[in-house]
Amino acid sequence: MSSRIIENKVDIDYLQKLDPSGEFRLTACLQCARCSSGCTMREETDFLPHQLNRMAILGLEKELMGSKAIWMCVSCQTCFSRCPMQVNTPAMIDKLRGMALDAPGELKRVKIFNDVMLSSIKRFGRTYDFMLMAIYKLRSGDLFTDLTKLPAMLRKGKFNLFPPRTAGRKSVRGIFNRVFGRREQR
Amino acid sequence: MKYSFFPGCSLESTARDFGMSVHAVAKALAIELEEIPDWTCCGSTPAHATDAVLAAALPARNLLAAEKAGRDVVVCCASCYGRLASANYELAKDEKLRSEVASIIGQEYSGGLKVRHLLEVLIKDVGTSEIRDLVVRPLKGLKVACYYGCLLTRPPELSIADEPEDPRLMEELLEAVGAETIEWPYKTECCGASFSITRVETVKRLCSEILKMADESGANCIAVACPLCQTNLDLRQLDIEEKFNLPVFYFTQLLGLALGLSNEKLGIGKLMTDPTKVLQFC
Ligand code: SF4
Ligand code: SF4
Repeated sequence: MSSRIIENKVDIDYLQKLDPSGEFRLTACLQCARCSSGCTMREETDFLPHQLNRMAILGLEKELMGSKAIWMCVSCQTCFSRCPMQVNTPAMIDKLRGMALDAPGELKRVKIFNDVMLSSIKRFGRTYDFMLMAIYKLRSGDLFTDLTKLPAMLRKGKFNLFPPRTAGRKSVRGIFNRVFGRREQR
Repeated sequence: MKYSFFPGCSLESTARDFGMSVHAVAKALAIELEEIPDWTCCGSTPAHATDAVLAAALPARNLLAAEKAGRDVVVCCASCYGRLASANYELAKDEKLRSEVASIIGQEYSGGLKVRHLLEVLIKDVGTSEIRDLVVRPLKGLKVACYYGCLLTRPPELSIADEPEDPRLMEELLEAVGAETIEWPYKTECCGASFSITRVETVKRLCSEILKMADESGANCIAVACPLCQTNLDLRQLDIEEKFNLPVFYFTQLLGLALGLSNEKLGIGKLMTDPTKVLQFC
């Protein structure tokens, strides 16, 4: 164990790539695990927040990219709020999700859902739940979950059957095009 | 009192009852909520999980549209609140992000507006004594577990309450209108909101823990301030084996009932877990 610790040096290059301005404060982490003890997903995930931080410092890129943890995180911010050193683990996780092309296994659904919702926003300027659910279900193959609730939800007027119309949608489309145009250049 | 208002997508679809009760209550309390012209989606979790600039640009577009009026921006959906408040905070302090976002939306937003949650406006601007005077139907017999979830008090810089781990705004409000509020330890636990569609098992686990704790602490209903919390805690009660029968109200619905507004105006009929039994007491 001790030799492993000595071998594992801080990977400056990786830190530069992950967090060029140092805003996540990863090197301030004390490994006290206060973050992890309150993590909403601690029972289901493969790595806890303090472990993700250490992996990042050591440049374990492959492990981070393939981890369930970055897709399992529910963005509840508990870890960040309780950290005595203000290490912003949720922001790092967001960045990692943006860098990872896909989620492993069943967690792919999280990525598919995010993509489908973003395309709804891009198209209508707002979310259009009804279409979002339909497309998500087709793309994820998860056809039947919650289908039995649909009639009651429709009856109670919980879904808009028609897409939202907002004049702002054109400018939203422009925002998407410019943000993603830049990402491709990078 | 006049504010710029950001409804957010859910107040017009899955949380229509929240939207209805917000407007009804605002009217009764003479709060003017002027919708931000041409508002668009805040981007929610998918945007921040995908790109930091996108996650700041989508709220910034709305804040810019509100800037002309120069009033505080009021948000009700906790998720929208989190996105707008966080973009506002980041843009005010991070010059690089500010200029990047400016080049994306074609105009600079400086982060000068205040983004506030309705709950905080009710307590700080209207005041509980003012509200108490308007009560026509005190909520006697209601034992409410006030549930804040994660987005209203985290991270601490954006918290609507001074004590992020033990907020009391909803308690103050509901006690002022005659309800009893219970002490319980899960008021800021997360319900797994962003997974409500993709990982139902996770959400069921988290929600059943929250419902169980509320039940064991003696609550007969739950009050929430977030469309995602409401949907998860209310709808998932159908899936969880243990039967709790805890109606999950928006805080605005309870306030509205105390102010004498009708069930129809407050969208009470849209709740999945039937509230009639709980409401017959008051
Ligand atoms: S709470 Fe903060 S300092 Fe402690 S292990 Fe977690 S990230 Fe590191
Ligand atoms: S933000 Fe993610 S990593 Fe942090 S406590 Fe919540 S679920 Fe865990």
